[in-house]
Amino acid sequence: MAALPTMRQLGCLRALLKTQEAVQPQIGRRFISTIYSQRPERVPLPPNLPKQFLSQLPVRMQPENGPKPVKVYPPPPSARNACKDPVGSVTDSQMTVLDPKGDRKALFDYRRNTRSVKPGDIVRVTFKNGDPFNGVVLSIKLRGIDTSVLLRNELTRVGVEMSVKIFNPNIQSVEIVQRAMRKPRRARLFYMRSRKHDRRSVENVVAAYIRQKRAFLGGNKR
Amino acid sequence: MIQLKTLLNCIDNSGASVVECVNVLKKKRAATIGDRIVVVVQKQRAAGSEGSGTALANKVRRGDIRHAVIVRVKKELQRVDGTVVRFGDNACVLVNKSGDPIGTRMTGVVGQELRDKQWSKILSLAPVNV
Repeated sequence: MAALPTMRQLGCLRALLKTQEAVQPQIGRRFISTIYSQRPERVPLPPNLPKQFLSQLPVRMQPENGPKPVKVYPPPPSARNACKDPVGSVTDSQMTVLDPKGDRKALFDYRRNTRSVKPGDIVRVTFKNGDPFNGVVLSIKLRGIDTSVLLRNELTRVGVEMSVKIFNPNIQSVEIVQRAMRKPRRARLFYMRSRKHDRRSVENVVAAYIRQKRAFLGGNKR
Repeated sequence: MIQLKTLLNCIDNSGASVVECVNVLKKKRAATIGDRIVVVVQKQRAAGSEGSGTALANKVRRGDIRHAVIVRVKKELQRVDGTVVRFGDNACVLVNKSGDPIGTRMTGVVGQELRDKQWSKILSLAPVNV
């Protein structure tokens, strides 16, 4: 709290003096270096300077010490020109190894092939080590060589979902056990995870299919 | 992803039905199938209703602290061949300090990751593995 002027009348003089002290040194602070002056332009050497005078020039100004021409290298060959579509070519080369006949691709290409696996179908995938996995197709991810299918089933009252890469060399076979009863109105049936729409176990459907198939094949053999 | 306070179903006949994870062993991250955890039994199975043939007394009681091995997880798990597996719940079986299962029977599917982590004893008890 500053003292009121009625109590100490000379106190206001001090404030006046203070401002003068503060301002004055700032006005006086002005140096020669702050004045702007343009840099003088460089005078080029005369073009036809006789050789005997060169020794009089400082070393950095002598012509052999002048700026050397910068070496410019040609750009490396463009990778884009070498291979226009690298991802596509890798996919193609993988496809020829993993799916030479194109059957597996056609089986899951639900956009073009009308007889392909579709969401809502029941599918049986058998692996090379012998154990199968059955389930309802919830979604088909068409991603070239990474194409995968999401299957859902219920084993011992526990929901199990498995996403299988269809070009996986560990897969022996993929069979369509049952088509969807009615064409689903979605491409991805994630609503089937909810309790209300869950298909529950598909094991009995698959068991019936296997029994039928075995009877059919056995009849053929005889 | 099993961590502190996660509730798991216990799927063996040791007597526990719901257990709570209190520690993940040998790991600084969330536990998954095949990992060993420490659990507290939160709910025990009714002794009379479960044992239809064998009137087996519950081996564990509510509040017991036991070790357990996770056999199913909700979090999706990718295998080396690219297949991804996800179960509908989190489940475990109780084991003793030396790693043998306390129960003698198991109900329910278990993950195949147990084989890689040398839990073949549990895998042989399970009715189904995926």
